[in-house]
Amino acid sequence: MTPLQFEQSHQQEWNELQTLLAQLHKSVRARGADGEPIAGERVATLYRRACEQLALARARAYPAYLTDRLEQLTSDAHQLIYQHAELGWSRLKRMVAYDFPRAVRAQSAYLWVALAVFAVPTLVLGYAVYFRPELILTVVDSATAASFQDMYSESAASIGRSREAQNDWVMFGFYIANNIGVAFQCFASGLFAGVGSLFFLAFNGAYGGAIAGYLTEKGLGATFYSFVVTHAAFELTAIVLSGAAGLRLGHALLVPGRYTRLQSLVRAAKESAVIIYGVIAMLLIAAALEAFWSSAKWMPPLMKYGVAAICWIAVLSYLTLQGRSAR
Amino acid sequence: MLVKLAVLYVFEMAAVFAGGIGVALNIILFFALEWLYPVAFELTRWGATPGKRSLGLRVIMDNGLPVTPAASLTRNLLRAADFLPLLYGFAVVSMLLRRDSKRLGDLAAATLVVYQPRPAARIPDTDIAPLAPAIALAPRDQAAVIALAARAPRLTAARVDELAALAGAVSGNAGQSGPEVTRRVLGVAQWFLGRR
Repeated sequence: MTPLQFEQSHQQEWNELQTLLAQLHKSVRARGADGEPIAGERVATLYRRACEQLALARARAYPAYLTDRLEQLTSDAHQLIYQHAELGWSRLKRMVAYDFPRAVRAQSAYLWVALAVFAVPTLVLGYAVYFRPELILTVVDSATAASFQDMYSESAASIGRSREAQNDWVMFGFYIANNIGVAFQCFASGLFAGVGSLFFLAFNGAYGGAIAGYLTEKGLGATFYSFVVTHAAFELTAIVLSGAAGLRLGHALLVPGRYTRLQSLVRAAKESAVIIYGVIAMLLIAAALEAFWSSAKWMPPLMKYGVAAICWIAVLSYLTLQGRSAR
Repeated sequence: MLVKLAVLYVFEMAAVFAGGIGVALNIILFFALEWLYPVAFELTRWGATPGKRSLGLRVIMDNGLPVTPAASLTRNLLRAADFLPLLYGFAVVSMLLRRDSKRLGDLAAATLVVYQPRPAARIPDTDIAPLAPAIALAPRDQAAVIALAARAPRLTAARVDELAALAGAVSGNAGQSGPEVTRRVLGVAQWFLGRR
């Protein structure tokens, strides 16, 4: 059979498959020219035949324009037929109700390590700076320390905001960019055998601890704690979670068990993705709280502590209890 | 990259008039362009950002399927690790060391960036008369002669003559060259294609 005969005898099927694929690409529920839904069976048949014909065309060394066309057709059909349906409301519901809290509990060992690496420097530097305030200069320079003192002083127009920022919206944007960026850093740097995650967890812990100790020593503790305590429920938890996901990556690479290092890394990354979805959501909530609720000056601190307690209980019980029952 | 800059430019124009919320959205936009822009575009049916698409690239899973949301997020977050120590240093090292030229993010996400060449052009109908070959040829050799006919329109006449002279034997013109030999070799190509 010559290439031209081959093309002529199959061209009609190729054109049909191409039209069907184009329609299905527009919408999976697309209807054919006759108004009937497109028969998946027909697409599958044409796909299989195109695969056979591609094999034949290659074996017979037919010209490139024929094999190229068949390669394109089969690859398009393959992508359409085997595509994942990973988006959508039901998927989102399942993620919130089961997948996220379960994924978190599945890596509780990493969580404890991440928590320790984050909390120990926080407490150590917090106490150290509280008793010897000059130590704050090991973490930030004197101008930054002064601006922090400024932000939480009684005279500040709004808590936790530097004087240049105009309003809550600006801070909202800043918190989103900054905090989610930090969380992504904690996760991504875990790829280097977990060392990056450990570093960023410890660094952010130490930084926060030093600031807290410094402000407490200056007598601004009341403003500072009533500011941070609410959104910390979401923010600190999310940072620890993403650090734990980063540690999981690094551990998978170091101790792959019965897998190759690469397979082990791919598995860990796949499981971590769910956690990262959750971390992004939590940090969005944290940014909104931090910008619009925590910084409000008219709110009595007692009310803030009450709401904070509710937030902490809600977050922790969501992560520990949600999704334990069978689906 | 250009698309990102264009989006930023248009937005800055608007933000100048919007005040506080403008600044806020501005920060968020910067953030989203940095981290989420590639994810959003890789999940479209083209599986590529506009930049990749214009170069004929797309992102797929290792097994040839469209990239999943989780994989796209992973490979784009780990770009932060690829960037270290500076200017995508680890990415470059990884790509140079590996046969499949993957960066770290692609390794962990099990994704591939592939080049999708445009399909080869059809062999144009010509007025060259089909000519029966002077010797019997194996399919691979026939394919080589046909490939010459496919490339001929994109080459200079002198280069086609040179290449056709190498295949002179198929039309019984071994050792000769010139426009006439080229015509005869291309005629044999038409014959192999199936024209009689």
